[in-house]
Amino acid sequence: MTLAQVIEPLGSAPSHAPVGFQIVALTILAVFLVLTITAGLFKKVTRGEAAFWGVVWIAAAVAIVRYDWTMVVARMLGIGRGADLLLYGSVGVMLVGFMMVYVRLRRLRREITLITRHLALNEAQRGPSFEKQKN
Amino acid sequence: MAADAVFVVIPAYNEGQAIEAVVGRLRSTCENIIVVDDGSDDATAAVAARAGATVLRHVINRGQGAALQTGIEFALSQGAQCIVTFDADGQHRVEDIAALIAPIQRGDADIVLGSRFLNSSAKSVPAGRRFTLRLAVWFSRIVNRIKVTDTHNGLRAFSRRAAQRIDLKLDRMAHASELLDQISESRLRYCEVPVQIHYTDYSQAKGQSALGAFRIVLHYILGKVLP
Repeated sequence: MTLAQVIEPLGSAPSHAPVGFQIVALTILAVFLVLTITAGLFKKVTRGEAAFWGVVWIAAAVAIVRYDWTMVVARMLGIGRGADLLLYGSVGVMLVGFMMVYVRLRRLRREITLITRHLALNEAQRGPSFEKQKN
Repeated sequence: MAADAVFVVIPAYNEGQAIEAVVGRLRSTCENIIVVDDGSDDATAAVAARAGATVLRHVINRGQGAALQTGIEFALSQGAQCIVTFDADGQHRVEDIAALIAPIQRGDADIVLGSRFLNSSAKSVPAGRRFTLRLAVWFSRIVNRIKVTDTHNGLRAFSRRAAQRIDLKLDRMAHASELLDQISESRLRYCEVPVQIHYTDYSQAKGQSALGAFRIVLHYILGKVLP
């Protein structure tokens, strides 16, 4: 495949006005981006996580506005259609998202165990063997 | 080592039926018995306390690994010099404890692992369980890089030094493999001694199924690769 074939779909932006789907999706992505930046600034997530999700939202917005560009990337990756690229990309992003949620869940479980242990140690009921020791 | 420096830690979850007999048998030889009731729905805690054990209670179920770690930390806080872990379902023999703590008392080992495959009683291990445990042994040789004959035997003994170094973070049954990892990494001296497992319908019903074994491996691997 020649370079000309790869970049052939690149051209001016689609001339028609944004359709309803694009407006709704871009609005949602804008909200996500603002939330991500806010979470990053207030250190609710690490900078790395905020950067990752920021890039994901911006890439999604670009793909919605310039959906013809996805064809270029798809061809470079040998996928064929831009729609397929978006599908595979979405699955990949979802898997990463699931993994991040799972890691957080594990951390939460660990914290629950530590709290449970702390309570158990504090409230240890002393049995006869320890009473005997004290005497 | 004085007898009162040896502490027995028993993690227990819904063991109301068996715990009284287990604690009762242990009291004939051990002074310090700690039962960690891991959020049981039944009267495990009350029965164990009545039988003479010191009872610690997890307000919610956190798994055997978490219960063991709680019991070990409590025993250390009480000045334990040697800590024995013992299953609550009655499958271990009190008589094996003396052989288990002997290498620690002699200063020959930091951790002593009970093995059901080092004596003639190995024949009493049910075939399915034996197969799963053999796979676990090979798994531990490859992954944990430790050569033992019985990886999931709950009867173990730790010196105080070893117990202070061990920190079980895998809450559920995968703690057994995690423990082998920590033994291997911390270069604690370990040995195995033969112990006998008394299989009953009750203890077998409480044991791990093949699916359970698969889940243990999965939890262990996720525990290794994820933060």
